[in-house]
Amino acid sequence: MIAAEGATFRAGRRALLADVSLALAPGEVVAVVGPNGAGKSTLLRLMAGEAAPAAGRVACEGRALAAWHPLALARRRAVVSQHVALAFPMRAADVAGLGRLPWHGTPEAARDAAAVERALAAAGVAHLAGRAYATLSGGERQRVQIARALAQLDGAPRPAALLLDEPTASLDARHAAALLALVRRLAAGGLAVMVVLHDLNEAAFVADRIAVLAEGRLVACDAPGRVLTAPVLEGVYGIGFRVEQGGILPRYAECC
Amino acid sequence: MMLPRRALAALAATLPLRPARSDMAGPARIVSVGGAVTETVFALGAGARVVATDSTSLFPAAARALPKVGYFRALAPEGLLSLGADLILLSSDAGPPQAIEVLRAAGAPLHVVPEAQDGPGIARRVRDVAAALGLDGAPLAGAVLDDWRALDAPVAALPPVRAIFVLSAARGAPLVAGGRTHADAMLRTAGAVNVVRGFDGYRPLSAEAAAALAPEAAVMMAHVIEEAGGPDALLRLPAFAVTPLARSRRVVGMDGSYLLGFGPRAAHARRDLARLLHPGATLPDLPARAWT
Amino acid sequence: MSASLAAPLPRERRALALLPLGLLVLAGAMLAGVLLGPARISAAGLFATLADALGLAPLPAEHARDAAVLGVVRAPRVLMAALIGAGLGAAGAAMQGLFRNPLADPGLIGVSAGAALAAVAAIVLGGSLFGAAAGLVGLWLLPLAAFAGGLLATLLMARLGTVGGVASVATLLLAGVAVNALAGALTGVLVFMADDRQVRDITFWTLGSLAGARWAQLPVVLALVGVPLLLLCALARPLNALLLGEAEAFHLGVRVEAVKRLAVVLAAVAVAAGVAFTGLIGFVGLVVPHLVRLGFGADHRLVLPGAALLGGALLVLADLAARSLAAPAELPVGVVTALLGAPFFLWLLRRRGAGA
Repeated sequence: MIAAEGATFRAGRRALLADVSLALAPGEVVAVVGPNGAGKSTLLRLMAGEAAPAAGRVACEGRALAAWHPLALARRRAVVSQHVALAFPMRAADVAGLGRLPWHGTPEAARDAAAVERALAAAGVAHLAGRAYATLSGGERQRVQIARALAQLDGAPRPAALLLDEPTASLDARHAAALLALVRRLAAGGLAVMVVLHDLNEAAFVADRIAVLAEGRLVACDAPGRVLTAPVLEGVYGIGFRVEQGGILPRYAECC
Repeated sequence: MMLPRRALAALAATLPLRPARSDMAGPARIVSVGGAVTETVFALGAGARVVATDSTSLFPAAARALPKVGYFRALAPEGLLSLGADLILLSSDAGPPQAIEVLRAAGAPLHVVPEAQDGPGIARRVRDVAAALGLDGAPLAGAVLDDWRALDAPVAALPPVRAIFVLSAARGAPLVAGGRTHADAMLRTAGAVNVVRGFDGYRPLSAEAAAALAPEAAVMMAHVIEEAGGPDALLRLPAFAVTPLARSRRVVGMDGSYLLGFGPRAAHARRDLARLLHPGATLPDLPARAWT
Repeated sequence: MSASLAAPLPRERRALALLPLGLLVLAGAMLAGVLLGPARISAAGLFATLADALGLAPLPAEHARDAAVLGVVRAPRVLMAALIGAGLGAAGAAMQGLFRNPLADPGLIGVSAGAALAAVAAIVLGGSLFGAAAGLVGLWLLPLAAFAGGLLATLLMARLGTVGGVASVATLLLAGVAVNALAGALTGVLVFMADDRQVRDITFWTLGSLAGARWAQLPVVLALVGVPLLLLCALARPLNALLLGEAEAFHLGVRVEAVKRLAVVLAAVAVAAGVAFTGLIGFVGLVVPHLVRLGFGADHRLVLPGAALLGGALLVLADLAARSLAAPAELPVGVVTALLGAPFFLWLLRRRGAGA
């Protein structure tokens, strides 16, 4: 699917991302973690094709993202941003329906209504279809955006990629858990998923592999059990961690 | 595109009716647009046939009381047509040109009256309006011209006064008349020189420029002097305090449409203004006229 | 669950009704615009004019005035109002969608200020600036100047608002403010140079009027408003994607920069063509898209054609009021639209304040 090879991205002279290689595979969830400013969002933007790397390359199916027709790329990868505010009031179903835009003019467009319906159901928000988006809670909005992304990928002939930017950022524990469970199900359904997360426990729960970024470099990328160790985390975050069977806990008291 | 052309053809067929009827009684429903045009129509004795005027037609009082078609530079084609007039007299600067074009296309009975800024011009305009009304304009034109010419020699003998015409002084720099304005023409015909040179139309005047121009007299519309708080308040304005005006205190006020209209009353206005500008001079009395 | 989705939701049923409803409203407004007004038209005059227009019977002389009012004055005026109102409505909807701002209107992209500057230049400098050309183009001088001025101001704004090939909405808005300020300042210089009568002409021009509408102008307006209107409607899907945000629109496969540039230019052409022939007419582009959204939702596939139909109807009716209320004089139509639009705008602001 989508893969970065030695990708470097600069803002002015500062490298926000340096020599990062990361490949997404169908059926697999890759969580990207790291301190603030580590380059997580930049990596997501590169993998989405929003920005092009200054060096190295980011490709989908072996072809550089910039060489893809925007609509063709949109049928292969969808992105869910952290916060989506609508310019004008819309219903949840209409928001999800926007995902069908790349299919306009293709034979698939005949199945728009069914695709939206499937997507809403898969994201667990079919009951919200008629609600105004602005009246939904943060978790419900995230799910509607995921439904929009699923509608966008419905009909894709080959495996497709879903990129999520901190989808649990504003959710409470229960809603975060439900959302991550949804992400797992989507991967099980064959999607290649990349998800930027802050919470290491969430990453441990959802990911097949965890990519750890620090100061623009990929420090580690492996199964959670190998990455989420006290030495790795302490090196990246600069504070102590207690890693136990039940989870990962920063040693808060040491910071004060 | 079919409709208007056919409508026009039909209208054209009705056109010969109009001159034929004017031969007998002249147009019966007149719309008069422009202060001087309206004054002329009333002076010709056709005031009773006027059904509407524009917002600049302020004299005589009967004209002021008629329905108004709006400002003469912003005419309404359908409003004019709705009056069912058989003659629409337009001052030569009536507009906007696009609306006049629509009226023309609709076959409205338009008659554009020529501009005038002196006695012979006014006489020509009187004859033009009279012809359009189916009347004999010679008596009125002759009387106006006689009155005007009676002033030519006496005014020419007067020493020219350095004067300025002030359109408004209520806020900011006073707005004064440059070249190609009725005010400029009236000053010249009343034994004054307009000290404002170098621009046409009305412009704000700075105090420095006013000092350099050194006017001895200021001519204004009477209501403008009132609005500005009287002559004393006016002369305290920086633009006037620095000029000979402050000593001469010659602030002359006259009714606006009388002073600037160049209608049939223009000769009398010329005499009145000359008297106000030259307080000591002897100027001939003009005969009392029905239209003044 | 699937049953509830398969059955059209109430709004979808309403949406289906939008276009027929809009057409009906526009047709009704146009019919009223042609039949009503300060010049009373007799039924006999109407039928005689119709019969003549259809080539059934020659026009009797006694109905010549009715025919002239209907055919020469009202018909081109009503058609012009419908076209220009449609352009203003659709352009306003597109700008609100593009700038993701419900209070955006076509004035934001500099087109009105630029057109005003050029129109004032034509009024004040007229023959002296444009020289021999003024004589050649005559009555077309002012519209030509206003159209060119509106378009140039928008292109300048788009140029200033683009940094490194990216026209960010914030930069565009600021560039629009700058272009508006510059055009306003230059207009001020021209007003200073103008004489008293030209100042009054300028005032009336900025208040808008359809009094000069003639058949000869209609093909021009039809092309310059109609073509951008259709193309804007074709941008409905990308504009929908932009409702989510620019990054999201890109993720959905929209060429965001190209869409922004195209929408701005199309809106500028449609608005500039209207302004050129009528002067400034405010609030149609601001208010009408909101009315459509209130009833039918934010989908640009409905909002754009809906705002066009309703904008046309609103301007036709506003012009009917402008013709009739002060007869035999005429109110500037921009005054009528502002009198209708400003209270609605205030209500909208309060509603937003309360609803958010």
